[in-house]
Amino acid sequence: MMRSTLILLITALVLPLGLAAQEIGFEARVDRNTFEVGSSIRLTVTLTNAKAGFAEPDLGGLTVVQGPFESSSFNYINGRMSSSVSRTYVLTATRPGTYTIGPATAQVGGGTLRTQPITVKVEKGSGTTSDRLLNEGQQRDRDLFVTISLSKDKVHVGEQVVATYTLFSRYPNLELSKYDLPALNGFWAEEIDQGETTWEDRTTTVNGLQYRVAVLKKQLLFPQRSGKLRIEPLRITCIVNRSFFNRGSQVEALSNATEVQVLPLPPNAPPGAEGTVGTYTFTGSLDRDRLRADEAMELTLTVAGTGNLKLIEEPALDLPPDVERYDPKVNDRITVSGGGMSGSRSFQYLLIPRHAGELVLGPFTLSFYDPEADGYRTVQAGPFTVQVEPGTGGGQAQLMRPSKADVEVLDTDIRFLRTGDLGLRPAGHHLLGSWAWWSGMAAPVLAFALFALVRHRREKSLADPLGRRRREADKVARKRFKEAHAALQNNAREPFYTAMNKALHGYLADRFALGAAEVNETALARALGDRPDAAALARQAVALIAACDMARYAPLETKPRQAMYEEAIALVQQLERP
Amino acid sequence: MRAPALALCLLSATLVMAMDRTTADTLAARATAAYAKGDHAGALALFDSVYQDWRSAGLAYAIGNCHFKLGHVPQAIVYYERALLLEPGAEDVKANLELARQRTMDRVNELPTFRLGGTWERWLGGHDLDQWARRSLWGWCLACALAAVGLLLRATLRTTVLALAGGCALFAAVSVGLAARRLRAVEHPGAAIVVQPRVDVRSEPRDGATTLFMLHAGTKVALGAANAGWVEVTLANGHVGWMPAAALETI
Repeated sequence: MMRSTLILLITALVLPLGLAAQEIGFEARVDRNTFEVGSSIRLTVTLTNAKAGFAEPDLGGLTVVQGPFESSSFNYINGRMSSSVSRTYVLTATRPGTYTIGPATAQVGGGTLRTQPITVKVEKGSGTTSDRLLNEGQQRDRDLFVTISLSKDKVHVGEQVVATYTLFSRYPNLELSKYDLPALNGFWAEEIDQGETTWEDRTTTVNGLQYRVAVLKKQLLFPQRSGKLRIEPLRITCIVNRSFFNRGSQVEALSNATEVQVLPLPPNAPPGAEGTVGTYTFTGSLDRDRLRADEAMELTLTVAGTGNLKLIEEPALDLPPDVERYDPKVNDRITVSGGGMSGSRSFQYLLIPRHAGELVLGPFTLSFYDPEADGYRTVQAGPFTVQVEPGTGGGQAQLMRPSKADVEVLDTDIRFLRTGDLGLRPAGHHLLGSWAWWSGMAAPVLAFALFALVRHRREKSLADPLGRRRREADKVARKRFKEAHAALQNNAREPFYTAMNKALHGYLADRFALGAAEVNETALARALGDRPDAAALARQAVALIAACDMARYAPLETKPRQAMYEEAIALVQQLERP
Repeated sequence: MRAPALALCLLSATLVMAMDRTTADTLAARATAAYAKGDHAGALALFDSVYQDWRSAGLAYAIGNCHFKLGHVPQAIVYYERALLLEPGAEDVKANLELARQRTMDRVNELPTFRLGGTWERWLGGHDLDQWARRSLWGWCLACALAAVGLLLRATLRTTVLALAGGCALFAAVSVGLAARRLRAVEHPGAAIVVQPRVDVRSEPRDGATTLFMLHAGTKVALGAANAGWVEVTLANGHVGWMPAAALETI
């Protein structure tokens, strides 16, 4: 205030020198766009380099707590003069919601200047202290007390709670010398940065007594186990009524203790959901969809939402084994405010595919417990398809490629059924000992025996040529007699006798194993052996041959041909008879 | 009155009559399809109905697989062992049996014995039950044919061919022996698998006798003498004891 008066004095002295006015500006500004019910913001409307009255803007439902305060300033720098007039309002809201501060207007010269409208968001207060806590606090100490209030008193494990430590004082002069924050057993705490501790602009009346209020501290608490978790009282030490003449006196104040009932997370958590509580979205992106083998690509997976983002761990990537992967880079954009922890955490993976082909990454999943939906949720990102083209070959990348790797066995299971014909056979059936087997064994033996018998007989006959000749004599004779018979029928004289001669002569020679010239009566009689009719038969046979010869070479036929033929047949039959 | 009775008789006759080959093959194909779709219980029921009247290593192996998938490890082992009896040295059966054995409780250190290699063992076992019987028939036929040829030949060659025929006859004789051995192994396996979760093996065939050791489901034992519902069992490591026959399933 002192300084601005000084500036005012100087500008008043300098002003008559009369330099040209600078560019005119008109703007409205708030010190923050988001605040809680019960706290306040400052709206400042500033008009620069012009002198005009301006109208109060439409505050859109916000109420003015203090102000407007007006201030003006003049600057004269390097021969340039500038001036500004500003008006400040301290505003508050009683209900959460979105409020729009309308444009302020100013009449400058002949025209109207307007500011841009401003939108502010009012959140549900986390630090409002219940009447019960105020009453209890007042009973502990009428002049100075502290309360710990929680935004919720019944939460799930991992769900966030805002704890607010508020100081209420009736002393006009108070200096905080130290405070011992309670040990937070079972909680994971995160400080909410709220700047310097100051007295609030408003006072609170409890049972007719007015108190000044200061929020000492705000914390985000994440319960780590279920059950009733107790927050011990906060103890503060203050020095009050200190002045130049007075050293002041030391006062201690104790807050209430408080309890949170922490419910366990429901069972049947999907894998990976343990300890992840909040409301999240899961998105992913891949920086390219086509690359060469051994080139790098970047996969970004982002978890955004409200909850304990700082505890979110790297999602498990189920990548094909021939994709090389490096540890992810974690990027946090997390804000911790009275509304809780929110923002996003993203994981950037550098991936290098080592082989060509179509590569499908993901889908990647994130599972968490959503306290708003009161259940587990699994969200997924992807899958992403990348076309990997063959690498350039050779070069450094080729050298860096890992050598042949063993096939990794992920799990074991029994082998699949046999496909195709099972080769079923009737139960209890087998070849050995069956009739088929016995007959199969017997058949070749029988065949062999038959063969051997035939063979034996044949060999025996081959070993005895005379016997064979004798056996065949009848056959040959029969054939020749047939010829003779044919000649007889044809009434051919010469062929008949030739055939008859040959038949008889040949038969006798073969039958009795005689040479061609040996066929005579004596030899025949000897060959016939001890038959009683041997001599007679021999004589008859020789006589018959002689008759044939006679008839053959001389035209003298002793007997009719038919009779001769029949006699020869009878003779042979008689010889054959034993 | 007579007609329904006759129909009933016919029906029961068809029920008793063995399933024909075509039906069995159809059922097996349906069971395989069910197994492939993950319906192991359905597949098991179908395979079991085929197993009533038909046998093959592939069928026993399939039933073993169904039991394994349904978590009946001892039964799976029983059927794998049966499949191995029907087709000794089958690679797939051995692999699955190994996996099933890993899920059993007992570790029995086998006494060191002379073991033949897989290929040799498979050859010796024959591909199927009748392989050696067929080989004996072929060998015998060949021996007879060679002997017959030998009869036709001159003296020098005849000795060689007749020696070959003798070799074939010897082969046929050995084949008959091996076929008989296979048949005996299949019809009297002499081994069983413990199917109860836990069995006490006692020193005598009665309850209350000294408990020598404890066996768990899936362990293979060799069968010995039997006595009033009890059997004498021998473990692969040589331990001998008595246990109730009901706790065992013969391979």
